[in-house]
Amino acid sequence: MDEVVRIVEEEGIIHKEPIVIEGLPDVGLVGTIAASYIVEKMDYKEIGYIESDLFVPVMVIHEGKLKNPFRIYSDKDGGIVVVLSEVAVPPRAVYPLTTALADWFHKIDAKLIISIKGLPVKNRMDIEKPEVFGVGNNEAAMEELKDKQMEFLEEGFIAGTYAMMLWECTKRRLSAISLLAQCFPVYPDPGAAASAIESVKRFSPQITVDVGELLENAGEIKLKARDLMQQTALSASEMQKGMEQDMPIMYR
Amino acid sequence: MEIERRILKATWEHNGNLEPLYEVEDKGDEILVTFDLPRVRKENVKINTTGDTLEVIAKMSDAVCWERWGIVQKKITFQAFRKQIRLPEPIEPEKAEAIFKNGILRITLPKVRRKVLITID
Repeated sequence: MDEVVRIVEEEGIIHKEPIVIEGLPDVGLVGTIAASYIVEKMDYKEIGYIESDLFVPVMVIHEGKLKNPFRIYSDKDGGIVVVLSEVAVPPRAVYPLTTALADWFHKIDAKLIISIKGLPVKNRMDIEKPEVFGVGNNEAAMEELKDKQMEFLEEGFIAGTYAMMLWECTKRRLSAISLLAQCFPVYPDPGAAASAIESVKRFSPQITVDVGELLENAGEIKLKARDLMQQTALSASEMQKGMEQDMPIMYR
Repeated sequence: MEIERRILKATWEHNGNLEPLYEVEDKGDEILVTFDLPRVRKENVKINTTGDTLEVIAKMSDAVCWERWGIVQKKITFQAFRKQIRLPEPIEPEKAEAIFKNGILRITLPKVRRKVLITID
């Protein structure tokens, strides 16, 4: 029990080379909104949680029950796993968290890891339907993106948990992709989450959610997500998220 | 051009007003302020500015009522967003412009500029 980040799973859970969907808080809270909507609409079962002394000492109460804000869900067939959090990831926890998760994904023999994230754009208020771009960590992941006709993010820096998640998966020879939906940098963005979910469905036909309700309730979701958005924006500034607007220098 | 971002903690008040999420950016010659105003229509947004402050009051289309809000566990209803910001530099109020689209209010506030010509000896 001396790991920095501990992934605690219920006993007896069987995974069948699952696709993992990761929705940790980031710009626009795209991953968190999308992952929690998928879990709710697909009625996935809570199968575990993540704990660490590096996380803020916070628990949440839902319908009177005490819950860990970092939770893991699965479908009943063991083919889908969803990892989400209702609190921001402190910058100091990014490395140990992504390392622990990648080790666990390796242990459960994950077929593909999909991180749902936001891609902050200055003109988001002028965009009706946000576009989604993909980043793959190896040849197989790139082929998967091509096969699903995803646009590629071809040049640029990526920063934060999903950047390290891609890297840690690469080190363990796991295929991982990030789906980045155009979003508001510092405002919760259910519209971007809806676009991201539509893209996730291309990779996992078992996920059959309709995003209509998400778009219809966007105003209320934005209100409920205000506090998490603020925590996340503060963490993001320490994670060099601003670099995502920069151009890399490599000559090519 | 240096972009300064400032995000202040949003809070709620018992009088039915909610502080919106907002962002202030220094764009050199102007200050750009955006507000996230979900459930608000353009005709229900009021913006007041003096030379150094900006106030936004935005009534929601329908009041939002939550039966239990946070640890206080009491019913709370919000009807409007309200926020007053002290601007980092004086601006020219009559030259300010605002756009409201998809629940986002963007206000452009030109800074007061007093140009002095410097001659070279």
